[in-house]
Amino acid sequence: MRDAYIVGAGQSDFGSFPEESYRSLFATAYEHATESIDGDLDPGMVDEAVLGTLGVGGRQIGLSGPAVTEHVGLHGVPTTRVENACAASGYAVRQAVQAVKSGMADLVLAGGYEVMTDASGDATRWWLGVSGETEWERLSGTTFAGVYAQMASAHVDEHGTDPDAMSHVAVKNHAHGAKNPHAQLGFECTLEDARDAPVVADPLTLYHCCPTTDGAAAVLVASEDVAADLSDDPVRVAGVGAASDAVGLFQRDTYAGVPASAMAAERAYDRAGVDPNAVTDAVDFAEVHDCFAIAELMAYADLGFCAPEEAGAFVADGRSDYGGDVVVNSSGGLKSKGHPIGATGAGQVVEAFKQLRGDAGDRQVADAERGLTHNVGGSGGAAVVHVLERATEVSAR
Amino acid sequence: MTEDENGVRAIGAYAPRHRLPASEVEAAWGSVQASGVGRKAVPGADEDALTMAAAAATNALHADGTDASAVGVLALATTTPPLEEEDLSVRLGSMLGVPESARHEAYGASTRAGTRALAAGFDADLATDEVALVVAADCPKGEPAGERDQAAGAGAAAFVLVDGGPAVALARGSFVRPTPGTRFRERGTERVEGLGVTSYDRAAFTETLAGAVANLDAGADEDDRGAPDGAEGLGDVDAAAVQAPDGAMPYRATDALGVDADAIQRVATVHDLGDTGAASPLLGLAKALADPDVERALVAGYGSGAGADAFVVDVDGAVPASLALDREDERELSYAQYLRLRDEVVSDPPSGGGAYVSVPSWRRTLPERHRLVAGRCEHCGALAFPPEGACGDCGSLDGYEDVQLPGTGTVEAATTISQGGAPPEFALQQQRDGDFDVVVVAFDAPQGDDTVSAPAQLTDVDAGDVSVGDDVVATGRRIYSQEGVTRYGFKVRPARDR
Repeated sequence: MRDAYIVGAGQSDFGSFPEESYRSLFATAYEHATESIDGDLDPGMVDEAVLGTLGVGGRQIGLSGPAVTEHVGLHGVPTTRVENACAASGYAVRQAVQAVKSGMADLVLAGGYEVMTDASGDATRWWLGVSGETEWERLSGTTFAGVYAQMASAHVDEHGTDPDAMSHVAVKNHAHGAKNPHAQLGFECTLEDARDAPVVADPLTLYHCCPTTDGAAAVLVASEDVAADLSDDPVRVAGVGAASDAVGLFQRDTYAGVPASAMAAERAYDRAGVDPNAVTDAVDFAEVHDCFAIAELMAYADLGFCAPEEAGAFVADGRSDYGGDVVVNSSGGLKSKGHPIGATGAGQVVEAFKQLRGDAGDRQVADAERGLTHNVGGSGGAAVVHVLERATEVSAR
Repeated sequence: MTEDENGVRAIGAYAPRHRLPASEVEAAWGSVQASGVGRKAVPGADEDALTMAAAAATNALHADGTDASAVGVLALATTTPPLEEEDLSVRLGSMLGVPESARHEAYGASTRAGTRALAAGFDADLATDEVALVVAADCPKGEPAGERDQAAGAGAAAFVLVDGGPAVALARGSFVRPTPGTRFRERGTERVEGLGVTSYDRAAFTETLAGAVANLDAGADEDDRGAPDGAEGLGDVDAAAVQAPDGAMPYRATDALGVDADAIQRVATVHDLGDTGAASPLLGLAKALADPDVERALVAGYGSGAGADAFVVDVDGAVPASLALDREDERELSYAQYLRLRDEVVSDPPSGGGAYVSVPSWRRTLPERHRLVAGRCEHCGALAFPPEGACGDCGSLDGYEDVQLPGTGTVEAATTISQGGAPPEFALQQQRDGDFDVVVVAFDAPQGDDTVSAPAQLTDVDAGDVSVGDDVVATGRRIYSQEGVTRYGFKVRPARDR
């Protein structure tokens, strides 16, 4: 199979933008992605578009993908909308990579968009629940915060995790997001801020939960045949892995981890040639799915950074920060950067693209050669992991 | 034993854990209008007459050691059905596991419904090994300023009757007298009213009950059983379970009934639970039958309109009982908490869209929701809940054998949903009852050591009191209401008492 490269990536600001629409947000992301292309991009070169969105608010449940691509002038380009809840655009990127590697396409636009902040709190809570297991889990009275709080209770029970570790995740990710001009909550917080914030679902406080966000992200995936024409410094997709699992937490083998994440990582590492026992030696940074702080702690073990019982210390000791084993969520993560559901996975790839090209500004990870993105749908019904690396030269294998 | 009359073999009762003391009513209103109600039971936000009926019936079946599949006749009495039209005995049957071929009967219209249902239980034509299950449950409401609401309580009683049961009705009598205006509920309201014409109300009560007792008739078997005819011989009843719209009215009927006040007080529940409507005389009978020193009891049911029933019940042998009336998890309410629970001060349901489970799809899962029916994989034997789709253990699509879980289990994961954090379906409940816990429970299999997990909401416990490793037991409750249809299912509560 052919190699796939990311030749352009961009995002809108993440935040609350009453004056924007899902199409205008995506247009901004697309514009930034095309601006990051070093060569000349003719819209006619785009063979395919794969876009992720949950469709919060219901504004255009059907055919929102074509509505977006037509809006940005990609007239006639076959567009597919991907829905895998919060992992929608992580999967969209994966679909783009598959199309390129298979030889069906040379240049594919992948991305995602979501508008979440223009509805009442009640309506938003309706929508936030639609990706939980609807008939049983939701109707026991949980929202996502509740389900992740249940996972936190299991993590504390099984691994003796100090709940304070979740506050450390918040402090770290806010410190990173404060350096990201696109971040929604781009301010720093203290351990006390996080620990003493109002409880949303015990033991999760407000600072352990990501916000609701408007935003869009776009990524251009090219084949080895055209990548060099479009980019002087493309990013190679070294490996992709994805997995799904039961949608309801109660239907899974463990509550203190996300089995789909571990399966997706194992597959991505296998394809990328990353030793699963030495992941932090192989990757310099990771954008992980921290919709709730406990999710980042679980990801440390699911992605092979450390054992589950070490997850709390891994963040508290700075091993997931600059100067540690692996910089986790240099963008600020979902917590600080924001979580526009359908745009999040592609947004992670945007950050990885910037880091690997040395374009990450104040939050640049030194000598970043390889990184990964980790995107989870719901509480773990879907997960996708990309291993991305600097490409010194584009070559056919 | 006669060929056409059954006897009570086991009893169950239930009252919610919330109690409003009269001192709170006095603090709120400056005085107490309702006589003799020291405190009263108040249903939880997820309780109603149907869930209380299910709880009492479950207790009765448990005391009897009988499975609901043996029920041939199910009679439900309530004046406070959650719906004005729809036969709720059918949903009660589903919650209990009563066969769909059983006779299902619903009684209402007045508080006399309880003794009408009891009569149906005594008269039920039962096949060998069949039982009749009689359940009365009520939770009336009134104008908060008035005596009826201040008396209005909550409770349920249930009786398992069989041919040859030890507690039989030796004699029965009924009487009616047209007496409008004493107690009524207009269409479209939940509030019981009365004109409050004191002497008229009291006369309706005492004279109608006196008529029923005067009509006591032992029927053809009178000579065999030495039963009283009319009021004579009633002086030797050990207990009198008398309709109690408040804590004073039953004692006004001592002369009419020919019993003394001690016999009434011995089995009265009104002082603790308040006016339990159709369940009132049946709760008294339940207490009488659970008392080993009671050999003969009078049951006197009254309903406005007016009509009354009287039974002389003789007990020959022990009657197993499971009466969850005095609860160790009791919670005393302030008047403000009472108004919240009674839905007097909460806002309208939030609007929205999003996740939606249609009533037909909910109905598909009634066995799971009402009775915790899980499945055992026909390929590998693993338990699955809900029992559909590929087996979570082996992936087989062979299907499942139904397994009814006993309802006990252990908490595997837990959280508390804080105010404002509930899904919209639960927002009103949260306004009424406060924060709630949601858990994943490993439910026990009927036999063996394996478990199967399901999510559930905690009930009958303060938020934050349950953690991983705690034992819980399932109980049927209101889950939520949408499109006017209340969906009933299981929640769990700490495994303390049954």
